[in-house]
Amino acid sequence: MTRKALITGITGQDGSYLAEFLLAKGYEVYGMIRRSSTINYERISHIQERLTLIPGDLLDQNSLIEALRISEPGEVYNLGAQSFVPTSWNQPVLTGEFTALGVTRMLESIRTVNPKIRLYQASSSEMFGKIRETPQNEKTPFYPRSPYGVAKVYGHWITVNYRESYGLFCCSGILFNHESPRRGLEFVSRKVTHAAARIKLGLQDKLWMGNLDAQRDWGFAGDYVEAMWLMLQQDEPDDYVIATGISHSVKDLTRVAFGSLGLNWEEHVVADPKLFRPAEVDFLLGDSRKARGRLGWEPRVPFEDLIRTMVNYDLQLNQR
Amino acid sequence: MTRKALITGITGQDGSYLAELLLAKDYEIHGLIRRSSTFNTERLDHIYRDPHDPNRKLFLHYGDLNDGGQLTNLIYNVQPDEIYHLGAQSHVRVSFDMPEFTGDVTGLGTTRMLEAIRHSGIKTRFYQASSSEMFGDSPPPQDEETPFSPRSPYGAAKVYAYWMVKNYRDGHGLFAVNGILFNHESPRRGETFVTKKITKAIARMKYGFQDKLFLGNLEARRDWGFAADYVEAMWLMLQQEKPEDFVIATGESHSVREFVNIAFAHAGIEIEWKGKGVEEKGFGTGHVMIEIDPRYFRPTEVESLLGSATKAKQKLGWEPKVLFKELAQMMVDADLKELEELKRCQDVIRKLSDSK
Repeated sequence: MTRKALITGITGQDGSYLAEFLLAKGYEVYGMIRRSSTINYERISHIQERLTLIPGDLLDQNSLIEALRISEPGEVYNLGAQSFVPTSWNQPVLTGEFTALGVTRMLESIRTVNPKIRLYQASSSEMFGKIRETPQNEKTPFYPRSPYGVAKVYGHWITVNYRESYGLFCCSGILFNHESPRRGLEFVSRKVTHAAARIKLGLQDKLWMGNLDAQRDWGFAGDYVEAMWLMLQQDEPDDYVIATGISHSVKDLTRVAFGSLGLNWEEHVVADPKLFRPAEVDFLLGDSRKARGRLGWEPRVPFEDLIRTMVNYDLQLNQR
Repeated sequence: MTRKALITGITGQDGSYLAELLLAKDYEIHGLIRRSSTFNTERLDHIYRDPHDPNRKLFLHYGDLNDGGQLTNLIYNVQPDEIYHLGAQSHVRVSFDMPEFTGDVTGLGTTRMLEAIRHSGIKTRFYQASSSEMFGDSPPPQDEETPFSPRSPYGAAKVYAYWMVKNYRDGHGLFAVNGILFNHESPRRGETFVTKKITKAIARMKYGFQDKLFLGNLEARRDWGFAADYVEAMWLMLQQEKPEDFVIATGESHSVREFVNIAFAHAGIEIEWKGKGVEEKGFGTGHVMIEIDPRYFRPTEVESLLGSATKAKQKLGWEPKVLFKELAQMMVDADLKELEELKRCQDVIRKLSDSK
């Protein structure tokens, strides 16, 4: 019997890697797509004819129910969200609607249509925020520092609640930062590699940056989607931290990116105070021993290779 | 200069006690109420003044926590010095049946209020009604540092709202505080909350309006205080120099069963419990008065809440005045009195119609 999966957020970085991964495992893959007058399928155009795209929106519960009825999935991966932290400061209510309440709507839809469906909820290391201990694991108390982080905390707890209240097989995947050449240009990793490439090609001179001292645990998105799938294959539902266990500063990232092209980052980077956050998350470092032990998962791509891969991709992209 | 306060949830238990407290302190009060085809302002009737009364200090405005635009208009026009955000879908059991609505009103509603403050540009102090339900199954006693572990969509929504308040305090410099109040009751408590449900049932059974009382989990333990004491703590939090979060509680934990026993005893009935689990029954004056109905069980329960309000005592000088036993007795007395009055009116009407 062919397994079926529904992915929300399929047009995003993780959604596209996950779709590829599941197709390779022989799944029938369905993706939920929001109506837009501009098409945004770049990340899935190479596999589009092998996917079934269903219209739907995390704000519209009926459309979620309909998507579940059409796709009849055994697994749902709820990756869809307003996922950019700085935007959440400007549009906190909207962020709450998608990133928080969207989870409740999806859980309710599953409970209504077929409570046997397994759900993966995309939780985030941003929930740890102003960290209460280092490194951060599944038991570390949360202290979110942005409306995005707060919304993700809600999404985590409502997922846990539906598991405890109704016995739904739902898992909260607490993924630390994960990047790739498909990362959105607004996220700092890709912003830096893209700018470094353009500077190398003479298309740009300066790069405006915010807080260079913020430290994150960065991994490769392609590795991380496998962890999502593994969580849903277990006998029992549970929550897992997914991380490399190594932390780098934004400054490190910038140095590696520019250095890989023979550039000196200090000659091109300018501080822009507007890019600083009202409340910052200074340091994140994840402890993924539970995932390594129980799921047999581990990250494969080390930090420097990840950044170099992204730089090379952006060099090719901008050469055209 | 008259201080102005805006209260959301003014039609509720806490809202009405808070409005009284602030009127006594000479505030001008603005309350947010939802439009409804049935009157929903009974708890304010005793302090409400006609719009044509030039000396009135209580003003009610239509609005809803799911309408952010209107909240911004209201805050901009009223320019309150203090905002007490008590409005919410506040019933834990109901939140399992209406999880999205609860997340929207009880969670996002707070974000809409905070955004309304930010966009209106006014300078104000904000009180958020946080809840001991955020602690969930974190072992008691619980204080300001205890990690959250919510056990209902209501609890999850309150956790969300708590962190949004901290966000605006840290990120935008807003004077915003979380009052983490443990359960607080009164004669004005809503009838679907277990304490009031019990005391009302006692009165109704005494005057023959009701046969039995159906309850859920008798073993759940809560820290119950008197709402009128607790609203004073809310006010005190907004008078401090710096914004801080405080637990407000009595420091005593009691089970639902204990409340039942004390409340019935005050009405002169000793309850004898027989049987176990869903078959357990409470006997009073020789017949079954209390039965268990599983519909009142929660899918996921909070077993035990017990609050430590040491910080509030030290920094606010706040202490609870009415404790568990006195609270239960006060509520029983109020319900007996109300039903006695109702019965008396009914008797008068019956006599009048009999004599025709």
